Amino acid sequence: MKAKKLAGLAWKNLKQRKLRTFLTILSISIGITTIVAVASLGEGFRGRVRERMEHGFELDVLLVFPGSFTAGLRDGFSSTDMEYIRNLSGVSLVTPLITIPITETINLTTENGTKLGAFTIGGINFGEMVVMFPNRFTLLSGNLPAEGETSAILLGYKAAFINGSQVAEIGDKIFLTILQPNATPPFLRINFSVAGILTRQGTLGITNFDYWAFISLDEAIELIRNKDKPYQLLIVKVSNVSLAEEVAKQIERHFPPYSVSVFVPTSFARQVDIILTLVEMFLIGIGSISLLVAGIGIMNIMMISVIERTREIGILKAIGAKNSTILLMFLAEALLMGVIGGVLGLFTGYFFSYGLANLLSTFIHRPTISGIRTPEVQEIRIIPNFSPLWMIIAFSFSITISLIFGLYPARKAAKLNPVEALRYE
Amino acid sequence: MMKLVELKNVRKSYRMGKVIVPALRDVSLQVTRGEFLAILGPSGSGKSTLLNIIGCLDRPDEGEVIIDGINVLKLRDEKLAEIRLKQVGFIFQFFNLLPRLTALENVELPLLLAGVDEKRARERAKHLLELVGLESRVNHRPFELSGGEQQRVAIARALVNNPKIVLADEPTGNLDTRSGEEIIQLMKKLNSKLKQTFIVVTHDRKIASIANRIIYLRDGMIVGEKYRR
Repeated sequence: MKAKKLAGLAWKNLKQRKLRTFLTILSISIGITTIVAVASLGEGFRGRVRERMEHGFELDVLLVFPGSFTAGLRDGFSSTDMEYIRNLSGVSLVTPLITIPITETINLTTENGTKLGAFTIGGINFGEMVVMFPNRFTLLSGNLPAEGETSAILLGYKAAFINGSQVAEIGDKIFLTILQPNATPPFLRINFSVAGILTRQGTLGITNFDYWAFISLDEAIELIRNKDKPYQLLIVKVSNVSLAEEVAKQIERHFPPYSVSVFVPTSFARQVDIILTLVEMFLIGIGSISLLVAGIGIMNIMMISVIERTREIGILKAIGAKNSTILLMFLAEALLMGVIGGVLGLFTGYFFSYGLANLLSTFIHRPTISGIRTPEVQEIRIIPNFSPLWMIIAFSFSITISLIFGLYPARKAAKLNPVEALRYE
Repeated sequence: MMKLVELKNVRKSYRMGKVIVPALRDVSLQVTRGEFLAILGPSGSGKSTLLNIIGCLDRPDEGEVIIDGINVLKLRDEKLAEIRLKQVGFIFQFFNLLPRLTALENVELPLLLAGVDEKRARERAKHLLELVGLESRVNHRPFELSGGEQQRVAIARALVNNPKIVLADEPTGNLDTRSGEEIIQLMKKLNSKLKQTFIVVTHDRKIASIANRIIYLRDGMIVGEKYRR
């Protein structure tokens, strides 16, 4: 019997039991809807997270810390350490950072005594820093201090603006005061002049400079005790993102164990990606269970159908239908339900995921993450990402399920004894 | 005359729960081409079982069944289905038409199963329906037809693949006298004009009266045989 005729017969049989067929198809399409919606939302969400990660971390920049995060950080890096890294292949730039945290004994104030919004003073090479973070280290106003301009200070946005009101302007005098309780004089005061103010960063991440104030490296070295190993952080730019992990390995190999830690954003990003994949798979797994339930529904409905049509099967066999023909006839019905349910599910999944995305987007509309409200975060919208691959996977899954669960009833029908089947009332 | 059907020492028993009920005990029978054979006997005598075995719907426990020179006992299920499709036509007491299909679709089904292309199948099915006098009812479904008409559709279906043997199990058993008479006349016509071989299981004396030969079955054994003409 020809395939077209078989399909036609299957369709006729399904139409005969409209409600039952409809309900079975509905259950399949719910399963497919779930899978499509979860997959496309998951992909959309993952894309968003990846975007944020790239925004928050420059993927071609490695951060090299002295010591170990777990076994304890050490003093710092020497110029020799920095030179070694600078000469590694794949490294295009290394720039150091000296950090002086603002504490009760170290203060940054304006001429009239107003405290700035800065939390940390960073000693940097201004020119190298701009090359390192071209998108981030941008000026809102003023100029970048020139090499050797030791009295210049560069303020992060939040250092200069407290709650939106500007406390320091270009050219203003800034006092760095260091209290020395048991020494004479009891405090040190160094004058700086505001050379520039950085643009607002907003994003969270390791390289947010909003609450920093930057001074020159030379001036910073003057202020710290360990002048042999002054650099608390080395920032390394690789010539190619794909080299990031290799360079990190080389750095780790060079230094004694626990004396260096390299933060590699790419591997971090990859870990996040892996975690997201796992979460997505988990959710799709749950969605697949609903399709499995639908499969059992197919089996159930077809078992009933085989029993109801026992006599019909007997007739078909008596007039010469082969077992394989009967098998195909019933499989065709299961397949047809799988195909219709699958197509329906793809469509409803498409619309459903947009609905769900809108719902989720309103939930995360005004987040206050660690108290910092940032403009970009408010714009987070999850847009479902329909990959053709997932469409194909979901569709073939529905067909596979319908065939697997249709096979048992179809075999049962095919194996009926014709004499007994004909006698069946 | 050539032997079309040959049964040698056929035995068949059924299991009803724990009891084994013998249906046929040592039946041997020969049917020649073009014959109209009537099998008579009380109910439970094994008539239907005999018919099912000749029609390759069932297999005997013992003995040999040779259809047109082929020993069918050694054949696989798929091969038996092919014999049923091409060599045998069945007519049942309760017509056994497929309720969702029209008269025409019912008749063309065996052709489609045999892989005949749709257009030719349709033509042949129409021709057969004309032969049984139902050219005006081709697009009716079984429930729209009378019992006699349904049985004519069944006869057309039985003949559509040009079988060597037509097997009928109480073909008039579910019809009123007049319709039954018409069916008998139709079978007689097909037998005499087309030389179609008929093997008919019946209680109906009228059918027996048109048969070339009558065999009597009782308790699974042939207890008598009568030739006409």
